[in-house]
Amino acid sequence: MSEARERLRRIAIAGGGQLGILTAIALRRALPDAQVVVIGLPPDPAGFADRASTALPFTNRLHDRLKIDETQLVQRAGGSHRLVTRYFGWGDEDQVGEKQNGAMAYGATLDPQLRTRFAQEWGGGRSAGGGASPPGSLAEVLADAGRFAVPPGDVSTPIDQVDYALRWNMPAYREMLIAMAQQLGAQHVAGTMEALQPDGAGGLAAIAIAGQGLIEADLFIDCSGTQAHLLSALPEAKRQDWSAMLPVRRVLHAIPGEPMLALEDRFSLLPEGWLCEFAGRDGLQVTLALADGVSEDAALRALGAGPAGLVQMEPGCAQLPWCGNVIALGDAAASFEPLGFLNLDLAHRQLALLLEMLPGRTIEPLERAEYNRRALLMAQQVRDTLAVHYASPRARQVFGACELPPSLEAALDQFARRGRLPFRDEPALLVQEYMALLRALGFAEGTTPQSRSADQRSVEASRQAFAAQARAALEFTPPYQQFMQQALQPQPVASDLQY
Amino acid sequence: MTAAGLARMLPGLATVDLIESEDIGIVGVGEATLPHIRGFVESLGIDEAAFMKATHATYKLGIDFRDFGRIGESYIHPFGSFGEEVAGVGFHHYWLELQRQGLAGEIGEYSLAVAAARANRFTPPAGDSSLASTYGYAYQFDATLFGPFMRDFGIGIGVTRHEGLVVDVERDGASGNVTALVLKDGRRIEGDLFIDCSGFRSLLLGGALEEEWEDWTHWLPCDRAAAMPCTHASDDIRPYTTATAMPAGWRWQIPLQHRMGNGYVFSSAHISEDEACEAIRHSAEGKPLADPRILRFRPGRRRRSWSHNVVGVGLASGFLEPLESTSIYLAQMAITYLIELFPDGGAIDPRDRDEFNRLVDMEYDRVRDFLILHYNATTRDDSEFWNHVRTMTVPDSLADKLELWQRAGRIEKYADGLFYDASWIAVYVGQGMLPRRHDSRVTLADPMRVRNALERLRQEIGTQVSAMPGHRDYLMSEAARLADAA
Ligand SMILES: Cc1cc2nc3c(=O)[nH]c(=O)nc-3n(C[C@H](O)[C@H](O)[C@H](O)COP(=O)(O)OP(=O)(O)OC[C@H]3O[C@@H](n4cnc5c(N)ncnc54)[C@H](O)[C@@H]3O)c2cc1C
Repeated sequence: MSEARERLRRIAIAGGGQLGILTAIALRRALPDAQVVVIGLPPDPAGFADRASTALPFTNRLHDRLKIDETQLVQRAGGSHRLVTRYFGWGDEDQVGEKQNGAMAYGATLDPQLRTRFAQEWGGGRSAGGGASPPGSLAEVLADAGRFAVPPGDVSTPIDQVDYALRWNMPAYREMLIAMAQQLGAQHVAGTMEALQPDGAGGLAAIAIAGQGLIEADLFIDCSGTQAHLLSALPEAKRQDWSAMLPVRRVLHAIPGEPMLALEDRFSLLPEGWLCEFAGRDGLQVTLALADGVSEDAALRALGAGPAGLVQMEPGCAQLPWCGNVIALGDAAASFEPLGFLNLDLAHRQLALLLEMLPGRTIEPLERAEYNRRALLMAQQVRDTLAVHYASPRARQVFGACELPPSLEAALDQFARRGRLPFRDEPALLVQEYMALLRALGFAEGTTPQSRSADQRSVEASRQAFAAQARAALEFTPPYQQFMQQALQPQPVASDLQY
Repeated sequence: MTAAGLARMLPGLATVDLIESEDIGIVGVGEATLPHIRGFVESLGIDEAAFMKATHATYKLGIDFRDFGRIGESYIHPFGSFGEEVAGVGFHHYWLELQRQGLAGEIGEYSLAVAAARANRFTPPAGDSSLASTYGYAYQFDATLFGPFMRDFGIGIGVTRHEGLVVDVERDGASGNVTALVLKDGRRIEGDLFIDCSGFRSLLLGGALEEEWEDWTHWLPCDRAAAMPCTHASDDIRPYTTATAMPAGWRWQIPLQHRMGNGYVFSSAHISEDEACEAIRHSAEGKPLADPRILRFRPGRRRRSWSHNVVGVGLASGFLEPLESTSIYLAQMAITYLIELFPDGGAIDPRDRDEFNRLVDMEYDRVRDFLILHYNATTRDDSEFWNHVRTMTVPDSLADKLELWQRAGRIEKYADGLFYDASWIAVYVGQGMLPRRHDSRVTLADPMRVRNALERLRQEIGTQVSAMPGHRDYLMSEAARLADAA
């Protein structure tokens, strides 16, 4: 006879950045009778997940689940929407000397029918390979036209297959989360950590906080940033070094520019490194990741705006993000440059994994092993997605040749020769998104045997079908500016206890 | 299947020659399938009704496993899910909690597929995300008709068929590649790529190329089957396959439109062929339509399914017993991967070959562990055979899954290959292997509300099942096109 496990009674979260607070919300929602204490620590300047002002569409789903209202996020936390990420200058020049540029949209061509887990399991749905490439994505059409609306979800519309990522003002978003965490009863302790008390079983018994005494807990969540203050103190903890595969060590932030409303963000490859231009309603954010050996002067010129700070970093991840009763999330579990907005997305997927596998008071070694297996796969998939950027035709000239993870080498080979990508567990991007990214980065795409033998009429038919869908989507959506004005109108809130 | 698939998917890229020998014939068993077969039939552009009519097919909602965990017990492994997760916690955790309190029915009562199967009813699933969409279906068909149907379809779309016996395989001395097949009457058939679909003979892969065989007998000791068709014993046609555990293996019952397929899959180390034939004659529900026929096999696979310019598909590449009806699925996946990795202009890139072999291995490994579970998760100690499989050392990959389940009620997650959570849960629970602990969060919910929610689900399932037509009625009416059902 199976019995319910004893519930966790007390959980301590080290780090009060947006990730630590979101984790507190998630845990209070999952375990309303557990004490959840957030230990506020000084923010880590290299904590790209905790500092991020955006993530990927997965975060919208996590927000839904945690009852974080998107309308509120837009109204109160400077929220805006991204449909595509554009890549400039990563590909080779074409015959007329133009550098090739490209765009990546989300979930662009995924058949909504295949989204349900059921369809994947017994519907005979998913194929491992990429399949025929579509003529484009609706998201790109909308971004080009500067039009947007949030697909309503309950009624069918011409933009149902359009997915988007949210941006926000991080401090305002964090404030919003703090209010919610407080309302849910999470506690907060500020102070410096003086000592960690081991529990004799590879984990922790308590954390001593200056002036506050001991904080004991059944489970400790390490959201303390790249230093991983909790995890790194444990005997079993081991870090996987990614520096041979990822070349960036210095990231330069500019002073924010003028506010900007746009449906796209940009990554450009420059001789000095890559430059991210990120449209925020509170100001354009520019970040430059430097190639090795670039002088400060050259870097400042490339940045194009006044510098706000330089961050040094070493990419890598925790080999075992869950040791004993300590689980590292976000920057503490994997640290890497903010390329492709993957930092917070990974952190949120780790949080979802933790919720899925939430342990009882007694932790089972095998559940830890299963969590670590999946979390490591997730991190490595992110690593491969980053490494793909540096393997692109022109990036090699800027960053030098990097080591290619073997799994990535096989994937790139399949893409180049066959126009397919092998399916991998815990992927950072959907296969279709990954293919779009590779095209945007200027990788030449091979053709699938099917497409070589496909007859011209069916190709023409799907082209026309797409054109019709695009027309309908454009008619359905207002200009983004107009959409945003509407979204910012105060709206009745279902319950004013929301936050 | 392979010839039809290649001709349909890659017209113009390759010409396909199909060689078969009427002297040898096809193995002719293999009647129960998985839902993926529908995708295959559909992508070939074959009309479902025409297909079902030609192969005397019935619908299949899952497999009824009898006497596996314990004699007298039975459960259905459905093509569908059990309940829904609540607040991020899987349905089975709530079910385990209610079950402990004596407030839950059998887990199958919360699956529409199981309930419909038990009631001998069928209707196709809905296309939305409602309760009526929470299952899938496959076919049960006459294998002796399915092969020829596929062959004729292939010929219709450009496959060239050669009737004849392959007696010699010519190879290139330098590369070792196969260059031509020589038929008994002297004809030579050349090719760039050779697909070995020669069944257990494995004429090219195992024979000519001597590809090494990985033997799994120590985990799956059954190595024979005694197959015998019989008439239907009652008016109902079950929309599911039955697998009943036997003293030295298990036996299948697969209902087709016009008859019932039966077979005893057994371990020859534990009973003789004669005893098995006797047992299958004895257990058939209807009148025997033929004498029992013995089939011999070895569980395992070739270390590489694609070697040189030879790709093994079907029994030529490996065999896993039909306990979960996976062979045709494995052949279908090999065909799908072959199409994706089809060589360009005749030149084979070793990286594509490696990728193909990686994918095929992954598929086999997943199925293997799941099959072993059916034998290992048992309390049966009534025969030497069951004592052996109950106490054998299982592969590490399975041992970890079992322990994770027993200690925490969790399923190891993967997204490629076959069999996800619901399948594992069906077998674990169905064979009496309950975990010791389940998710701590379930006790947060008010037990009465959980109980009521489960009760509502059970009732709703009951209502929907009562509204479904009987399986036989559906075959005859809805698909009057399937006239043979009458
Ligand atoms: C007992 C048993 C039960 C099964 N039940 C199921 C089930 O329920 N579900 C399922 O999915 N699968 C099942 N299978 C597996 C299924 O039968 C096979 O996957 C399926 O029949 C495909 O077989 P095949 O084409 O690989 O081989 P075969 O059917 O053996 O075909 C081999 C072909 O090669 C030809 N050939 C061989 N040698 C020569 C030669 N020298 N010259 C010319 N031609 C030659 C033959 O003529 C024949 O056409 C079962 C198998 C067994 C043994």
